Amino acid sequence: MTLLLIVLLPLVGALLPAWFIRWGRNQSALAAGVVTGTAFALLLSLSSSVFAGEVPRADWTWMSSIGLSLAFMADGLGYLFAFLILGIGLLVVLYARYYLSEKDPMGRFYAYLLLFMGAMLGVVLADNLIVLLVFWELTSLTSFLLIGYWKHLPEGRQGARMALVVTGGGGLAMLAGFILLGNIAGTYQLSEILQMGEVIQAHDLYAPMLVLVLIGAFTKSAQFPFHFWLPHAMAAPTPVSAYLHSATMVKAGVFLLARLFPALSGTELWFFLVTGAGAATLLFAAYVALTKHDLKGLLAYSTVSHLGMITVLFGIGTAAAAVVGIFHIMNHAAFKASLFMNAGIVDHETGTRDIRRLSGLWAAMPITGVLAIIAAAAMAGVPLFNGFLSKEMFFEQAWALEYQFVEGVPWLLPAIVTLAALFSVAYSIRLVWSVFFGPQAEDLPKPPHDPPFGMLLPVGILAALCIVVGIVPVLVAGPMLAVAATATIGIAPPEYSLTLWHGFNIPLLMTALAFVGGIVAYWKRWAIIGLHEGPLPFPEAKRIFDGTIDRLAAFSHGTTAALENGSLQRYLALLVGAAVVAMGWPFLTGSWSAGPGPGTPLDGMSLVVWAILVGAAVATAALHRRRILALVVVSVVGLMLALAFVHLSAPDLALTQLSVEVVTVVLLLLALHLLPKEGPSEDSIGRKARDVGLAVAAGCAVTAMAWVILTNPVDTISGFHLAESYPGGGGTNVVNVILVDFRGFDTFGEIIVLAIAGLGIYAMIDALGVPDRWKIGSPDDEVRYPLLLTVITRLLLPLALLVSMYLFLRGHNQPGGGFIAGLVTAVALILQYVASGIGWTTDRFVRDYHGAIALGVLAAGATGLGAWLFGYPFLTGWFDYFELPIIGEFELASAVLFDIGVYLTVVAGVLLMLVNMGKIRNASAAAPDAADGEG
Amino acid sequence: MIGELVVSLFILVGATFALIGSIGLVRLPDFYTRLHGPTKATTLGVGALLLASVIYFSALREGLSLHEALITLFLFMTAPVSAHLLVRAGLHHRVESRSRAPAEDHGHPDPEAPI
Repeated sequence: MTLLLIVLLPLVGALLPAWFIRWGRNQSALAAGVVTGTAFALLLSLSSSVFAGEVPRADWTWMSSIGLSLAFMADGLGYLFAFLILGIGLLVVLYARYYLSEKDPMGRFYAYLLLFMGAMLGVVLADNLIVLLVFWELTSLTSFLLIGYWKHLPEGRQGARMALVVTGGGGLAMLAGFILLGNIAGTYQLSEILQMGEVIQAHDLYAPMLVLVLIGAFTKSAQFPFHFWLPHAMAAPTPVSAYLHSATMVKAGVFLLARLFPALSGTELWFFLVTGAGAATLLFAAYVALTKHDLKGLLAYSTVSHLGMITVLFGIGTAAAAVVGIFHIMNHAAFKASLFMNAGIVDHETGTRDIRRLSGLWAAMPITGVLAIIAAAAMAGVPLFNGFLSKEMFFEQAWALEYQFVEGVPWLLPAIVTLAALFSVAYSIRLVWSVFFGPQAEDLPKPPHDPPFGMLLPVGILAALCIVVGIVPVLVAGPMLAVAATATIGIAPPEYSLTLWHGFNIPLLMTALAFVGGIVAYWKRWAIIGLHEGPLPFPEAKRIFDGTIDRLAAFSHGTTAALENGSLQRYLALLVGAAVVAMGWPFLTGSWSAGPGPGTPLDGMSLVVWAILVGAAVATAALHRRRILALVVVSVVGLMLALAFVHLSAPDLALTQLSVEVVTVVLLLLALHLLPKEGPSEDSIGRKARDVGLAVAAGCAVTAMAWVILTNPVDTISGFHLAESYPGGGGTNVVNVILVDFRGFDTFGEIIVLAIAGLGIYAMIDALGVPDRWKIGSPDDEVRYPLLLTVITRLLLPLALLVSMYLFLRGHNQPGGGFIAGLVTAVALILQYVASGIGWTTDRFVRDYHGAIALGVLAAGATGLGAWLFGYPFLTGWFDYFELPIIGEFELASAVLFDIGVYLTVVAGVLLMLVNMGKIRNASAAAPDAADGEG
Repeated sequence: MIGELVVSLFILVGATFALIGSIGLVRLPDFYTRLHGPTKATTLGVGALLLASVIYFSALREGLSLHEALITLFLFMTAPVSAHLLVRAGLHHRVESRSRAPAEDHGHPDPEAPI
């Protein structure tokens, strides 16, 4: 529970600073600080158990079918990282309070920061691979928000986008890798995966899985060749750079390496990939760092370089190297965060970050200078600082490799490492000497002075840590290192000593070489810088990145435009074609074939009906350009279908087919009326041939599929329905009982769909702004509304309603039901609109059908909910028999109420659709134009 | 036996009228005369069939089966109206008539026709 709280507190607490900002900047900062502090306190409450060797865990099963559970654990490694995140986070909150200017929205800043903090804590404390991944992506997202915090700067936006694309893409690869890992190990729980090292490494899929996971780790930790986003992320405010891009987020990649160390490391592939990438990054970034003129740019590349160093250590694969790696994670966080904050102070106080312009600041900013010297010394590896210890141990490990890059050349890695250390010394000197010493700078934008205490305190704390750990490492860093190392390696760490003096040995020699070389390099730095900026062709990462993104976007645009060109015919052709392939494939592969079932003998009547059906269908396609005629022929198809239903003893379906046919024909007439009577000839012979071929193929495929289904023995649920219809549903009309009882929920959904369709049509036509202009008593009336039609339809209405009620009431036991009754009523009513005009009918009947639709849906829903009152599931039916004096015995079923709902919705929905379609006709016909010829 | 004979007679009568109506629909010369065909088929043809149905089901079960009478009533009410509307549409569109009397729509007198 504590673990979940530690993660959730910053995530939820992110709202507090955003809210408290209304009372002032201090209050907002205080809120952020309190949230962080509380989480920190919670973490410290776990210290005693962690240092004793226990591993606090928390586990909630979430989706056991895919192995996802919300699981957290605080082993030594997680504890260490959480300590770093929360501790440095607290310092950054304080620092940011004074760094952000009046114009910057502070509430938003702290909210993003806390969100990031929560996400990062989720990454380090996760015990489940999928949980880790989710929080990993969250860190990418929040980092995007933070980098782009200054939205008005184009570098901010572009840097944020680049970071998101690279880390997000890495996250995607990592997802694939994690799924592979989960499959290899059979579980997604980290605590189990970490026990299965040998099994995982021996598996066939180890190599692809490793590559994918490493892509994720390397994109996050800015290793070569994915390093280019980090310098561009320096467009973020300095607190963000200090927190994310030096101490926490970029460490997520090496955290992953440490976390999966017991499971994945130790193989040759691991060594080559990880150490290779790390060594390349280490050297390359150190070199480039020296040539950067922007303070933050220099620090960015130096971060990349130090991350490369940690990567190399984990890549070496031995337990001892892993220990050093963790130790350097701790040290690097301390001095790099303090250096970034220092650079921020310089920028804040002088107005510039350009090293070429800055000089001689010592006189004006002595305290800042002292702190900078301490941190830079730690970075360079000067003895008595923490950086020295980890560098020494690093040099030592570079000789103790299990594998070699090149056989017989054991000094290759040490040479690379020494060279990198040389550059590191050089840029550390540059950072301090060029900025704080030398002649005083003349034309700085602002007069420099020491910053407020609030900005100096965090830097001071971190610098103090550098010294303290450097002098008494065992006391201060020892315990934490021990538990973290145990967690990483999986067993007790090997013998290592954190003492300052190891004697005169090769690592000391390498350090000395690095120092001497570094000073020389600094002295000759302009030659190196000139080499870098001059003749060497240096590929500019941002240009390559932008170009790649642009080409990808153009490609996707082109593909979409080719497939989705707006032609409905094309979509239909693709759909039908895909259906043909899907239906035809099992026949080609032989998995479907006709079964042993007997065929039905063909009689002359069926043959005639079938022939008319086919002929009418073909005629529709052939006559499609003469629209009204085609509609008439289509209705022939509908009538033949109704006959077929009658022949196969499905009177309910035949009734439904007929009534729907009528309504559809009316609707289509109203729509087709708005188009010209004859459509133009548009299609070429080739297109027609293609369409005919596709249609024939689709017909044959469906026929074959139907043949297979009908001739193979198949067990359907219709037996259950037939048997249970009366006992379970209270009715002998199985179709109706299925509609309102067995499948009542489906019907409920369908009437809602009908209602939505009606409302949609209403909304569309209402938006057209057709005016309500119906006049009664115009000279046109006798032609438009012939007297004979008007009178007869008015006489017919009560009879039609009588039939409708009859069908409704008998529906439960004989063909009929709410749907059919509703359609009959709707047709009778629409006849009134046709015969007497919309105006006349609206004056005497309902104006808006929306209420009726709602009433219908509610009635059906209420019937279902009524079952809850009696403790039954939704839509459980009930029926019983009652006696009335004259009428005799009759049956009441709750399904009738449901049917009422269906009835109302159908009537109102259909009328809504048809009347609104008719309004367009009415308005367009009311305009005096004699050219149209409707009758 | 008698019942079966009667029912068969009515079915045959109905079918014959349907056939005659269909032949008329195909063969008669112009629009207005062609209209006579389907009207006969619907009323007399279907009416006879419905009568046969009444007799058959009344013999089969107790009590008169009156559903078919209702159907006949509806048909007799609506078929003339449909024919009327068709003729009005034809007159409105000035469909050519092959008979000797000129086609005239009294609702809209033709200004060019000779009085």
